[in-house]
Amino acid sequence: MGCSFPVLIVIIIIVLAVGVVSLLSGALGKAIVGDVGLPDIFTVDAPHVQLPAEEIGHIGPITITNTLIASWITIVVLVALAWAVTHRIKLIPSRLQSLLEFAIEWLLNLCTDVAGEKYGRRFFPIITTIFLFVIMNSWLSLVPGFGSITYTVAEHGEEHVMPLLRGANTDINFTLALSIVSFIFVCYFGIRYSRLLFFKQFFNGGRFIRGHGLLFRGKVKAGFGSIGFGIIDMFVGFLELISFFIRLVSFAFRLFGNMLGGEILILMMLFLMPYLLAVPFYGLELLVGAIQALIFGGLTLVFVTMAVTLHEHEEAH
Amino acid sequence: MEGLGINLPQLIAQIVSFLVLFGLLYFFAYKPILRMFDERSQRIKESVEQAEKVKEEAAAAEEENRKKLETAAKEGQEAIARAMRAGDEARQRAQQEAQVEAAGLVEKARQEIQRERDEVIGELRQEFADLAVAAAEKVIEKSLDKEAHRELIEKVLDESTGLDKE
Repeated sequence: MGCSFPVLIVIIIIVLAVGVVSLLSGALGKAIVGDVGLPDIFTVDAPHVQLPAEEIGHIGPITITNTLIASWITIVVLVALAWAVTHRIKLIPSRLQSLLEFAIEWLLNLCTDVAGEKYGRRFFPIITTIFLFVIMNSWLSLVPGFGSITYTVAEHGEEHVMPLLRGANTDINFTLALSIVSFIFVCYFGIRYSRLLFFKQFFNGGRFIRGHGLLFRGKVKAGFGSIGFGIIDMFVGFLELISFFIRLVSFAFRLFGNMLGGEILILMMLFLMPYLLAVPFYGLELLVGAIQALIFGGLTLVFVTMAVTLHEHEEAH
Repeated sequence: MEGLGINLPQLIAQIVSFLVLFGLLYFFAYKPILRMFDERSQRIKESVEQAEKVKEEAAAAEEENRKKLETAAKEGQEAIARAMRAGDEARQRAQQEAQVEAAGLVEKARQEIQRERDEVIGELRQEFADLAVAAAEKVIEKSLDKEAHRELIEKVLDESTGLDKE
């Protein structure tokens, strides 16, 4: 086990004690065993689920919410980490530099693998920023104490107690902002490299118009065939257009739903059975945060790659 | 929309914060780190190339050394062969010279012997003639003309082959 027998015994006793306390103080235990009168400090309140981010204050027209503050903290942490490494960057890396380099290199390789050598380096900064922002948001919100710092606001004579920090991923404004960035990014590179083809995938009326031309010249069969396929083309283009805009929504809600769900899950578990039961879910949320970050960044990468390589598909047909 | 809490200022604030993060990370992380990657790969490429070059040079030097050794060995062998040949020649020449000298010595000795023999024979003949003249004088008591006598004896001696001159 890697430790001596007495130490093992002590560890087992501590775990058992924590288990008993968590069983007795949680809602689950109380329902089964009944309230045994443990001090309040051991019990965790039932989570108060609120979808919109809580408002903390106002700066001019902008409402400062706890998620906005959390995203700023994430920015500060990321930039501080980057600066700590790169203000004295060395050819032979230190440990911290290796860590950051590992992450950057992995993402760079991901970009060049998916998008190719030519585009990979261009896409890399945005993709990496998305990935780092999302993963850091979700991991920072798992830091103990993150959600338990509260802030009291007096409003309409009532006092509202709300967490000062809340993971930015759990705010639809943040996820929507990120998906808008990703959407604009895809459009920008799509138009820049595919030019008209980028629009042609949505509005493909070429065959429809050609069909009329054929009809006009008296080629009835070919003309009607072309018009028929032209209508299908236009319908496919319409579907493409819809799915293109749906992505905007699905990106935002996938991240929002997953992260908010994870947060509520952990709070629920803390309520049901504090200490022990929440531990595996913390691990799960670490994984989910990484996966969601990878999905957001990876899908953006895939879509932008598809958008810039439209002409290759055209040639392949 | 209200229930989800979507509102425009919030959205814009979050987009702005994303762009701020993007800008900051671009200058503090991506640019320096990518430059570092490029520099490092450049360095590695250079070192590998240099190592390759050094290896090639070493191989060339070894090859050259080998060739030098080979030529040196060949030259050494040639020198030895030449020396042996020179030695042989010298020996032969010495032998020949010795033979010639020996032959000369033998010839000289033979000539000496011949000369001494001739001398002795000449003396003997002289004495013998004188002796014969004295004896004849005694016998006939008559002194012949010494000159006539000598001629006679010479004649006799010439006829006899035993004490021939030459």
